[in-house]
Amino acid sequence: MKRFAFPLLISFFVLTMLISPFIGAQTIPFSTLYNGMDEGLFNILWELRMPRVLLGWTVGSILAICGMIFQAMFRNPLASPDMLGVSTGAACGAVLYIRFGFAFSIMGIVPGLSIFAFIGALLATSAIYIAGNLRRGGMSEATLLLAGIAMSFLFGSINMIVQYGSGFVDSFRMMRWSMGGLQAIGFSDLYLTFPALIIIFFVAYVAGPELNLFVCGEDIAASRGVSVNALRRILFISVSLAVGIAVSICGPIGFVGLMVPHICRKFVGTDHRRLAIASLFFGGTFLVICDTAARTLWSPAEVPVGVLTSCIGSIFFLVLLLRAKK
Amino acid sequence: MVNSTMYLEVKNLSLSIGEAHILQDISFSLNKGKFLAIIGPNGAGKSSLLKSIGRLYKQISGEILFEGRSTVSMKSKEIARLIAWVHQAGSTSLPFTVKEFAKMARYPWQTALGLDTKQDVEAVEKALYTAGVEDIADREFNTLSGGERQKALIAAALAQGAEVLFLDEPTSFLDYRHQVETLKLIEHINKKENMTILLVTHDINLALHGADEILALKHGKLAWKGDSKTLLSEGVLESIFDTTFQSFFSDGQTVPYVAPKGMVF
Repeated sequence: MKRFAFPLLISFFVLTMLISPFIGAQTIPFSTLYNGMDEGLFNILWELRMPRVLLGWTVGSILAICGMIFQAMFRNPLASPDMLGVSTGAACGAVLYIRFGFAFSIMGIVPGLSIFAFIGALLATSAIYIAGNLRRGGMSEATLLLAGIAMSFLFGSINMIVQYGSGFVDSFRMMRWSMGGLQAIGFSDLYLTFPALIIIFFVAYVAGPELNLFVCGEDIAASRGVSVNALRRILFISVSLAVGIAVSICGPIGFVGLMVPHICRKFVGTDHRRLAIASLFFGGTFLVICDTAARTLWSPAEVPVGVLTSCIGSIFFLVLLLRAKK
Repeated sequence: MVNSTMYLEVKNLSLSIGEAHILQDISFSLNKGKFLAIIGPNGAGKSSLLKSIGRLYKQISGEILFEGRSTVSMKSKEIARLIAWVHQAGSTSLPFTVKEFAKMARYPWQTALGLDTKQDVEAVEKALYTAGVEDIADREFNTLSGGERQKALIAAALAQGAEVLFLDEPTSFLDYRHQVETLKLIEHINKKENMTILLVTHDINLALHGADEILALKHGKLAWKGDSKTLLSEGVLESIFDTTFQSFFSDGQTVPYVAPKGMVF
């Protein structure tokens, strides 16, 4: 199983990336590739589907790799970036942007909504980071997780208050945003998510041996020569930035960061270098498949992909828990 | 400046966590290749002392010198090339095989890309052989028995290629056979592999029969230091443990076994 894991994962990835752009409310037959397609189909394929599939891959893989890092760092199989208030923080930024009726963008590339969401995500994580550091002896795993959960609730309640006080249109936009989605027009979003993915993958790959030791416990990691606190800071900051970018563009997409590392572990084992590569391919593949389903199953209507991943994710997770008992 | 000849020197070591003074003003020294046992009642600060010397606790005051070099200025990897640890095995859960775990101990010798060199592979092979875990090398750590786990942990510490081995209660959770095997392994590492050993234990007999030197802690202070002969002199054990002891001689041995009085065999 393990020997074929990578060829299997990679061919699955390539197939998904090739096929998915042709599927959606408007199916594009493969035959148009050599028979020639009209301009409408070409635009759908090139301006909508391709960017969307690539965005799905980058965002899914960012979330998966970040989830993997956090699960190792906190020695907790349930840890995921969502838990550290990144998502609710980002949602808070987005909700405020909508509430105050801003409408701007930077150079027409980065929309103001994403900037606000990104700032919200960073505020939430830096609050947690500071809280973790104020206590003596650096950031303990339990403190950080608890601070993250507290922060999630705090921002979550702010979101509710703002939504409650908004009109129907605004409040629907807020709700829709917080369900997560991969709508992309053109490739501009990729200018941000692609570098973020490359950097976070590089960080995870280089820190692989340290993450392996982290899994064995803080004492073992430290006594093998890992600078535990310094490494934790680097990982925490890079995960926050990467997830901040992903969430600010696509909204919160639940369960990918939690689930994909678990699935990958089944295929390639616990070594974090192998896991990082597996997450790089499978995280994106998983999200692209979910998104393809989200835009096809109820077509011409579309379900927010975040809702679908959470739904599939929670069922999958229950199955995983029940099977592990045996 | 007096050039010191001692291998390890601990000078005025203190450790406070919050208001609690865990260790107070501990000084001692040790020659290279020696086997030191640290004993004392529960809560005396034995493990804290080991962790302070090994720099797992950073907020210490005082000085720790290896061959005259202070560990304060050393990087984590540098310390790991000097000191290898066998932590308490109790509830350790590791999702790796014995061999994978031993390979991971090569970390302090590897660069950022962390590829296994020939030395790494050889060190791991040798460590697995020395600890006698070659036959379980490919088994998942979590499926091992307590005795096998302890040997696997020792194998990994050996693979680390350090000069000094720190062991925290290595025999506590083991049955008698594995206690004996583990102690034999530690003695082998000490005598044949020439590693200096610092070991924390609450088992007086392990200290009496294994160690060259014994150090006793009580309430975070250095209560006593000497060897197995002097430990048995009148009143020493009693003052450390606040209870009275009996000695038993087994055939042909010069060092007796001790047990607290009132323990009837």
